[in-house]
Amino acid sequence: MTHLLDCTVLSNAEVAPEHRRMILRGEAIARDTQPGQFCMLESNPGLIPFLRRPMSIERSEEDRFSVLYKIVGEGTRLLSKIQPGDTVNVQGPLGKGFPIQPGYERHILVGGGIGIAPLPGLAEALIRQNIATPEVLLAARSRDMLLCEEDFKSLGCSVLLTTDDGSAGMKAFAADALREMKPHEKTVVYVCGPMIMMATVHRLCMETGSLCLASLEAHMACGDSVCMGCVVETTFEEEFRRMVRVCHDGPVFDSRHINWNAGAPVS
Amino acid sequence: MTDISLKVNLGGLVMKNPVTVASGTFGYGIEYDHYFKVSELGAVTVKSLSLKPRPGNKPPRISETPAGLLNAIGLQNVGIEVYLKEKLPLLREKNCTIIANIYGFSPEEYAELAQRLEKEGGADAIEANLSCPNVHDAKASCGPALVAQSPESVAEYTRIIRSATSLPLYIKLSPNVADIREPALAAQEGGADAVALINTLLGMNIDVETRRPCLRNLVGGLSGPAIRPVAVKMVWDAARVLSIPVLGMGGISSPEDAIQFLLAGATAVAVGSATFRRPDAALQIVKGLHDYCARQGIDDIRQLIGALES
Repeated sequence: MTHLLDCTVLSNAEVAPEHRRMILRGEAIARDTQPGQFCMLESNPGLIPFLRRPMSIERSEEDRFSVLYKIVGEGTRLLSKIQPGDTVNVQGPLGKGFPIQPGYERHILVGGGIGIAPLPGLAEALIRQNIATPEVLLAARSRDMLLCEEDFKSLGCSVLLTTDDGSAGMKAFAADALREMKPHEKTVVYVCGPMIMMATVHRLCMETGSLCLASLEAHMACGDSVCMGCVVETTFEEEFRRMVRVCHDGPVFDSRHINWNAGAPVS
Repeated sequence: MTDISLKVNLGGLVMKNPVTVASGTFGYGIEYDHYFKVSELGAVTVKSLSLKPRPGNKPPRISETPAGLLNAIGLQNVGIEVYLKEKLPLLREKNCTIIANIYGFSPEEYAELAQRLEKEGGADAIEANLSCPNVHDAKASCGPALVAQSPESVAEYTRIIRSATSLPLYIKLSPNVADIREPALAAQEGGADAVALINTLLGMNIDVETRRPCLRNLVGGLSGPAIRPVAVKMVWDAARVLSIPVLGMGGISSPEDAIQFLLAGATAVAVGSATFRRPDAALQIVKGLHDYCARQGIDDIRQLIGALES
């Protein structure tokens, strides 16, 4: 059930340079959120920016939920100015989250940069439901952009780090680091990050016979199924299934259904 | 103040209030019934229907701009069969008044769509979209040629669709013309019961880092509060020369915006992109119209239509 709710901001603190975590009080949204779902935040009361900002829900607990975001433009810059005690209108939870997959031996979470956002809540759910304590691969440009390392460790997850510049963990791209983890047919890989990273993780999973569930990002107007603005191309033959909405059919997809050669929905 | 009448008659369609939604911003009408009772609206206007399902354009399809957005969706829709079978029963069950927006690649396709909708009870009024800017290849020329850009074509299309249906027929026009009165008069001459205006304004947004257009389709249609003054002026232009009513739209996001359109001569209004920001925007505007009438001592909203003082 999706709600349209004025939520009180409990904190909005920096977690890395240009990265924030906003914790909001909104009981109905917190209660109904499944791991991998997202919400639409109104960044300001005015008309510029006009649209809400889609954000993965990081975690939800009791009457509160959190989002992780990177300051990239005017909307997120305005969100970063919001103070504890302020009110933000939130629409959510939205979309279809990660299907929890019992019957797999290994569960590997792969987060690239801010793409880590929906994964802490997923790790908690996998542990809570006694499915697995997932292995986590965190990838980022450099050490100071690695997010949530301690959060995963405190859940008991093993965490492998990889950075583009080698300032922490392996100096490698996510897919290369994942290969070292030797995923197999009984492995499910949950991935969220830049399209190029997810495409390479998808290809590796096809090689190793692993199931790959990818959480996609797209520019959105409505965030809730009506505008058809956030579509991605699929591998389906039928014309009516060739384009799927990230907001409604996703944001989490079986990676085999996405046409990774089509180009990014976010430019 | 329960004795305020918001009822209007839009070219033969009685609406309990003058507010509908703009085609393409509200899906097939039922999606948002969990945010509010969509039957509270004067009418629900559904996404453009074509004879066959359409996958639409490649992404990215939207790009945000100051106080609005560009879109190049390309009329992705389920097609009339699925609409009639799966969407319509839900709309009827909710007791919605339905305006069905249709898109064809020839006058005959429009006529066939209108005929089928009437025969199968699929609509209470037809809005023929002669003005979608996004279904042609923009690379082919400086911009796509729209039926709505040629008054002769508007008159011809309208006549052919008119002969296929007795439902109230609205012709949706494009603002991408020098003089909106010409296609508006052509629609009237062709037998339309109302004109709907404006569709989106053609626009372009460029990513200066990549030097690429923000939309895969290169250009798209601009909507949102940014276009409202253009839309109000075009409604005002058209309403003064027409004897048929105008369904006004373009950037309406508040009750005051809607009242501007009524004062400029619109009989009813459609709320578009504002729904993306607030899913219940159209309902809030219905409520705001009632409050405005109460405040101004108006007992019938029709008193506002064309009541501009100048």
